[in-house]
Amino acid sequence: MITFKLNGKKVQGEEGQYILQVAEKHGVDIPTLCHHKALDPAGMCRICTVELFDGRRTRFVTACNYPIWEGMEVKTDTDVVHEGRKLIVEMLYARCPEVPLLKKLAKTYNIESPRFKPEGDDCILCGLCTRICKKMGNSAITLTGRGLELNIDTPFNVQSDICMACGACASLCPTGHITLDRVNNLFTRQKNVRTIPSEYEMGLKGRKPVYVPYAQAVPNTPAIDRDVCVHFKTGGCKVCAEFCGVDAIDYAMQDEIVELEVGSIILAPGFEPFDPSKFDAYNYANHPNVITSMEMERVLSASGPTEGHLVRLSDHKEPKKIAWFQCVGSRDLNRCDNSYCSSVCCMYAIKEAVIAKEHAGDDLECTIFYMDMRTHGKDFERFYNSAQEKGVRFVRSRVHTIDPVPGSDDLAVRYVTESGELQNETFDQVVLSVGLQTNPETVALAEKLGIELTEGNFCKTEIFEPVETSQKGIYVCGAFQGPKDIPQSVIDASAAAASAGAALSSARNTRTLVPEVIPETNVFGERPRIGVFVCRCGINIAGVVDVPAVRDYAATLPYVEYFSDNLYSCAQDTQETMTQIIKQKNLNRVVVAACTPKTHEPLFQETLINAGLNKYLFEMCNIRNQDSWVHKNNPELATEKAKDLVRMAVSKVALMQPLEEAELQVNQTAMVIGGGIAGMSAASTLAQQGYETHIVEKSDALGGQALNLFKTISGDDVQEKLSHLIADIDQNENIHIHLNTELKNVEGFVGSFKATLAADGEENELEHGVAVVATGASALKPEEYHYGDDPRILTSLELDRKFMDKDPSLKAMNSAVFIQCVGSREPDRPYCSRVCCTHAIDNALELKKINPEMSVYILYRDIRTYGEREYLYREAREHGIIFIRYSLENKPVVNLDDGDITIMVTDHVLGRPLEIVADLVTLASAVVPNKNEALARFFKVPLNDDGFFVEKHAKLGPSEFATDGVFLCGLAHYPKPIDESVVQGRAAASRAVTLLARETIHTSGTIAETVPINCSSCEVCISICPYSAPSFIEEGPFAGKAQINPVLCKGCGLCVASCRSGAIKLKGFDNDQIFAQIFAMNEAV
Amino acid sequence: MSEWEPKIVSFLCNWCSYGAADLAGVSRMEYPPNIRVIRIPCAGRMSPKFALAALREGADGVWVSG
Amino acid sequence: MEHMGIEPDRIHYSWISSAESTKFVEVVKEVTEKVKALGPNQHFAKHEAKVA
Repeated sequence: MITFKLNGKKVQGEEGQYILQVAEKHGVDIPTLCHHKALDPAGMCRICTVELFDGRRTRFVTACNYPIWEGMEVKTDTDVVHEGRKLIVEMLYARCPEVPLLKKLAKTYNIESPRFKPEGDDCILCGLCTRICKKMGNSAITLTGRGLELNIDTPFNVQSDICMACGACASLCPTGHITLDRVNNLFTRQKNVRTIPSEYEMGLKGRKPVYVPYAQAVPNTPAIDRDVCVHFKTGGCKVCAEFCGVDAIDYAMQDEIVELEVGSIILAPGFEPFDPSKFDAYNYANHPNVITSMEMERVLSASGPTEGHLVRLSDHKEPKKIAWFQCVGSRDLNRCDNSYCSSVCCMYAIKEAVIAKEHAGDDLECTIFYMDMRTHGKDFERFYNSAQEKGVRFVRSRVHTIDPVPGSDDLAVRYVTESGELQNETFDQVVLSVGLQTNPETVALAEKLGIELTEGNFCKTEIFEPVETSQKGIYVCGAFQGPKDIPQSVIDASAAAASAGAALSSARNTRTLVPEVIPETNVFGERPRIGVFVCRCGINIAGVVDVPAVRDYAATLPYVEYFSDNLYSCAQDTQETMTQIIKQKNLNRVVVAACTPKTHEPLFQETLINAGLNKYLFEMCNIRNQDSWVHKNNPELATEKAKDLVRMAVSKVALMQPLEEAELQVNQTAMVIGGGIAGMSAASTLAQQGYETHIVEKSDALGGQALNLFKTISGDDVQEKLSHLIADIDQNENIHIHLNTELKNVEGFVGSFKATLAADGEENELEHGVAVVATGASALKPEEYHYGDDPRILTSLELDRKFMDKDPSLKAMNSAVFIQCVGSREPDRPYCSRVCCTHAIDNALELKKINPEMSVYILYRDIRTYGEREYLYREAREHGIIFIRYSLENKPVVNLDDGDITIMVTDHVLGRPLEIVADLVTLASAVVPNKNEALARFFKVPLNDDGFFVEKHAKLGPSEFATDGVFLCGLAHYPKPIDESVVQGRAAASRAVTLLARETIHTSGTIAETVPINCSSCEVCISICPYSAPSFIEEGPFAGKAQINPVLCKGCGLCVASCRSGAIKLKGFDNDQIFAQIFAMNEAV
Repeated sequence: MSEWEPKIVSFLCNWCSYGAADLAGVSRMEYPPNIRVIRIPCAGRMSPKFALAALREGADGVWVSG
Repeated sequence: MEHMGIEPDRIHYSWISSAESTKFVEVVKEVTEKVKALGPNQHFAKHEAKVA
């Protein structure tokens, strides 16, 4: 250590450091121009000149490259120093009067106009570019010429092959003299020099060769892109290795081939967005204001390239009119080969339009050009309706061409309206709603694995085995199985995991490593002995916050017995040292001031456990993510803040008590409510995994709604498949079937439920650990279109029955009409029943098969044959089935006269009323849930306005409830076809197995607890808790007072804040602990 | 003291705003160093008592964010 | 709040999702500015006994 005086204050630095480095650490500002921390100092610009007193006389030295020595005295702030700097700035300013950096510097030094003749240059000859070029191992550019001719250039002023256009010079140039254009035009012979496009930002932003792919990436560690990193081309640079504090960078690392022996494989390769560049008429490749929906997602994102400001890319102007074009790369055989529907684009376009309006205000005009609006997902139709109310305009038209408007950045769109009129409209920006397609690499992988694909290059699966590929042991989930949205992908994923796991269930728990248990020290009643560890995190914290000062400050706080600072607190060896220190110093509370508890709290808690301390005797304070990283230009206040945070943490931790985590046995039995397709799939999956399962079915047979269905979309006989499935269930030893049985009551909670089953007047109790709700739905009995007045007017399911019975009357019919959306998408049932379009088309084709001469009409509002169901729609049109669209305001009218059925409908193409005489009218009646309020009450799970159960999370938790231990599948969740019911049944079982397999559950320690004696029995906690944790005590001295079930409590504290009697405590975040933090603030004021 | 700097007690939800604050750090954004964060398990944990106590203890502002 | 002599601008509420770091920074700036504009909190803070 070398001690010297800096502006009269004693400071310390290490041998070999330069003045600038020490000054920086102590927050003393010295201006620099030619300095860069990655390069050796050169002392070129001399603006860092400081005054040095060596004991005898005063000298001027450049701070960047003058090494410190014992006893020297440095002054950075004297008049003479400033005079000297001012002269340097004045001369540079005269040389480069237009450079913003120098304008700014000149202003700081009060120079209005230089006394020297202005030159109009923009290079200050700082040499950063040539030095970094050399560091890159390249030396493609250098200082050329002498004296006044001195210049930055390539040798002999010729564009060279040596320059690899890495752009390091441009990135360091402080004045803007060297730009990528200059590199391109003067230095290199390589073509197309540009920033490295960030894949995550869809190329709308650049990224570095060393990069974390995106902020939420797991693992969140940077990678080096070897294709662009200069080191891998020249062997130079190595700047990242120099700066890495833990020597994590290994340039010699090679790709490895790792061989794994596995029992099953799950394919989840996803999709790639369709590339619309090949559609010349859309000008996507040439016009910056034609973007894809994926690019729009980034533009709308708060962390995106424009930080969430909605601007168009050509001129960064806020658009006033945006158009979305649907079905770009979907439902299209003319311009591309994707004839399927991509399923997700309608919904995401509406979402983008609504968010765009939220960002830009209501006067933003959003228009969506579409063919059929396909909002068939749960709550999607409502969103569509509300978007219309918010002013999003929907135009049914497929636009052919986008023309740039000459002389502006706007786009002219020509389209034909529904009534056949040609329209011209100008937009500021056009978003192409691109479809989903399978990546060619995935197609190649499938070929290698011998997996069959569909016509659209998706993985081929069977309706009753939707996650099984054509190769045994290989499973599939997500968009490779067919275009689908997030909830559907999540459901697939759980189901695939269950299928893959079934084969391995016998091996469960055979390779588990059991950690050594260290006995916990009893610290009850002990005076707090707090250890404070302040982390430097390399330079991440110590570079800004004065860590030694914070450490020493911690020493002055009450109860602090030990304090130290670590280079990297999370390093393995530091952890071991900390364990030793806790033991040696008998510490009973620990504070770590480091990064964020969200990532590192569990690690340090582990350290406490290893030292024999309860893991809740710990508090972390966040002096990196929320301090040093965000206040790097304010080291003094950042240090101040760190001290405050440490003080607050110390005062809280002193009050922390050891908390217990209760252990609870999970009953290894499952109950499935409902014996339809979803319920049976759930039961068979649970049984395959080795768990005893009870199916409770209220009717006298298994099968549910599937008993009414004729064929699947791939032509399988549903009844045949169903009988196999039922036979399998019947024969399975692990499955117990309770037919004609009703659920009377359910008590208990996750791991130990007790159900009362009633059958034949007898009541039985069933104890189980988990429950799967698969109560299904049924078909609406229509009250319109003369349903019930004539046997020829029937519902889709009744037509299926006719097919199953091989009804001979069908063959004799000349004309059949299908009416869609009967009871769906109506004001009092504002959801789409999802299955009816496909079902109607399938049945229409079946009629055509029976009698090809029959005239078949389908009267519809939007055809929603999502995914590869679209092929059926195409086939139907090829077979001459006539599709006539009607609107909600102008529904078809069915008349019964003298035994004739006539249907009046307004043709959407001709705009004229049309009369059809029909021998058969099939109504696509809505799927209506069995609004099961009693069941909802038993398990404390919610129902939505439509009567469907509400899942834990619409996207990420579709097959489970917020209530632990209760799972959801099938039509009770939302209308869905057979394959989706099967897959969700599996998924619900899969989620249940994650609980069952643990055998015991540990509750969290930081949960709420009542003090019954203070409770006023007001019931607020019981009504407010989202997890149904509080209840009234039923017997004993405190009967009628509230208690909280530790198993169900998630520790959110809602009840604590709402308790008017102060009778609830939240362990770990209790009032006195939070008050202690607040009071500790006080001392700072 | 050159300029008066307020102290603002911030109660941040562990799952929402506290995460946003961490991410702001990861993204190396900069903001004024006046806030002092108290992590709470959920904004529902917040009680008016805390806000009043903070002000009473001399904090210049209180910010609650879920 | 006003009733107790606290300026409403001293207390702020917001909702920020964990991905919205930009919004977080904006809100911090806004809150700091508003509180700064009010000046030190004097109305409600516990006054220390003034020693003569």
